[in-house]
Amino acid sequence: MKRNNTWLWSAAALVYAFLYIPLAIVVVYSFNDSRLNAEWVGFTLSWYKALFNNAEMLTAAGNSLIIALSASFSATVLGTMAGLAIHRYNLKVLPVLVFTPVAMPEILLGVSLLLFFLQVLNLTLGMVSIIIAHTTFCIGFVAIIVRARLQDMDESLFEAARDLGASPWQTFRLVTLPLIMPAVVAGALMSFTLSIDDFVITFFTKGVGEPILPIQIYTMIKVAVTPEVNAISTLLMLLTLVMIIIAAKLDAHASSRDAKTSS
Amino acid sequence: MLFMAGCTRSDERAAIPNKDRNVLHLFNWNNYISTETIRRFEKSCDCRLSQDYYSDNEEMLAKLAAGASGYDLIVPTSNAMDTLIRQGALKPLDKSLLPNLKNIDPSYLDTPFDPGNKYSVPYAYTISLLGFNQEKIKELGLPTDTWAIIFEPRYLEKIKGRVTVLDSQRELMAAALKYLGYSINDADEKHWKEAADLIVRAKPYWAAFSNTSYIKELATGNLWVAHGYSNDMFQAALDAKKTGRSFTIGYSTPNEGAVLALDSMVLHRSGKSPDLAHQFVNFMLEGKNSADLTNLLGSGNPNTEAMQYVQPEIAANKAIFPSRESLARLEMLRDLDRKQRRLLSRLWTEIKLR
Repeated sequence: MKRNNTWLWSAAALVYAFLYIPLAIVVVYSFNDSRLNAEWVGFTLSWYKALFNNAEMLTAAGNSLIIALSASFSATVLGTMAGLAIHRYNLKVLPVLVFTPVAMPEILLGVSLLLFFLQVLNLTLGMVSIIIAHTTFCIGFVAIIVRARLQDMDESLFEAARDLGASPWQTFRLVTLPLIMPAVVAGALMSFTLSIDDFVITFFTKGVGEPILPIQIYTMIKVAVTPEVNAISTLLMLLTLVMIIIAAKLDAHASSRDAKTSS
Repeated sequence: MLFMAGCTRSDERAAIPNKDRNVLHLFNWNNYISTETIRRFEKSCDCRLSQDYYSDNEEMLAKLAAGASGYDLIVPTSNAMDTLIRQGALKPLDKSLLPNLKNIDPSYLDTPFDPGNKYSVPYAYTISLLGFNQEKIKELGLPTDTWAIIFEPRYLEKIKGRVTVLDSQRELMAAALKYLGYSINDADEKHWKEAADLIVRAKPYWAAFSNTSYIKELATGNLWVAHGYSNDMFQAALDAKKTGRSFTIGYSTPNEGAVLALDSMVLHRSGKSPDLAHQFVNFMLEGKNSADLTNLLGSGNPNTEAMQYVQPEIAANKAIFPSRESLARLEMLRDLDRKQRRLLSRLWTEIKLR
């Protein structure tokens, strides 16, 4: 038993190291006093100073945040509805429509959305087109997670609610939604992450004149990626961390409330 | 009255709110213009320069081919420009608005990609050449003015595992073809096979095929010789100097000749402010503005008036500013036809698998 535990712990430690060491390096090197950032040279805050003077990069970060928040919000709402519908009814076409964007190569999705926006909708490319595009590929992920959660749940809970006189809306709001909340939050976080670092689809669906973070970073490759990129990544990580902590707090709050009401 | 004329000429233009009318949209490589230059231009034209970026010519072509619009100016490399011209995606230039065009060295004008420069004005160039650790190469007594150093086993023996070459079918084949005395656009299948054999023979001595990581490895001293782009070598040399290394990074264009990649400014058909675009092109042709880019990136400069503003140690660098004879041996890559592309892919697979 004890032996098993050590194995488990060391495996977990390795996985966490694998996940977090690269992130730690990004953070540490954001303070490196070298433009090429090949080796540790010395401590400096100058990249943060440069970042705060770089209006384009900050606008890009702001735009990316707006896109990620809007896209993850709409994808979560639509994806949850899709997940519920797919679980409840025996549908043929909807699951295919919802899950295809998850499996489709990004470049294909990017180009076809671009053609659709320009030639069918006659839409001017901009923030709106990016948000729609991101929502499109995020819905599938949310729906998959929500449906998986629903499949594990006891159907009699919903039947009991209806038996006790709850309307369909009340059943959803008071029984279904609280039960699937962890899946909804997970789907929202996943959409946020997918949206904020997407390059291919964003490149094709963006309009002229709005800087978007992944494009700014990725296109620096031709010249040289400076530690300014590490600095902005550090700030974004910090922001994401804060969001996850808030989400966890809310979740803990909700489950303690659940525990109280059920006792 | 003037306002009326404007309206009847194009309703679309009148519908654009005033603040947008003074924005110039540039579709460019990232970091490919100095912020100082942008500031000066915005002041001189009382407008705003807004940039969008691409990291690859094909990316840019795909986006435009799908119908993306609103870009006034693009800065493609010659072969991509060729494609844009053939697609009819560009607006011809009005040369009466570009008096500074006289500043461009005639050897960079009238290229086969755009005869007579109907659509394009040269912006900057890079050369694919050899970068090296100067002290180490001197110590080993190796030549730096020939491709032999990356292809001949008798030299490679001394630097085994300390050499990288570009991970690009066209670039590496071009270097091998040049070493064998052929043109980089040679169409003879026999010559290509000869070049592939040369590459296969040298491959065991190379550490890797690398497109970007060689910059850092060269600057930290892990690599002694690298086949790469002149502006990257400039960055590596600058970094080695700034961090106070015990060695210096040099770079030079082999005598056999090399690939020249020329980026040009062109006007896209969908641009909404062609007048402003011409103003920008003419502004960039001024010596000082053109020199800013060279001082920033170490990119080659086709502008003769720029030389007086270029930092002396860059201006003296023969690898960035080749002499007449050396320039005559540089060539630009042309697009391949289908059959050649297939042959190249097959040879490349063989090279990579061996």
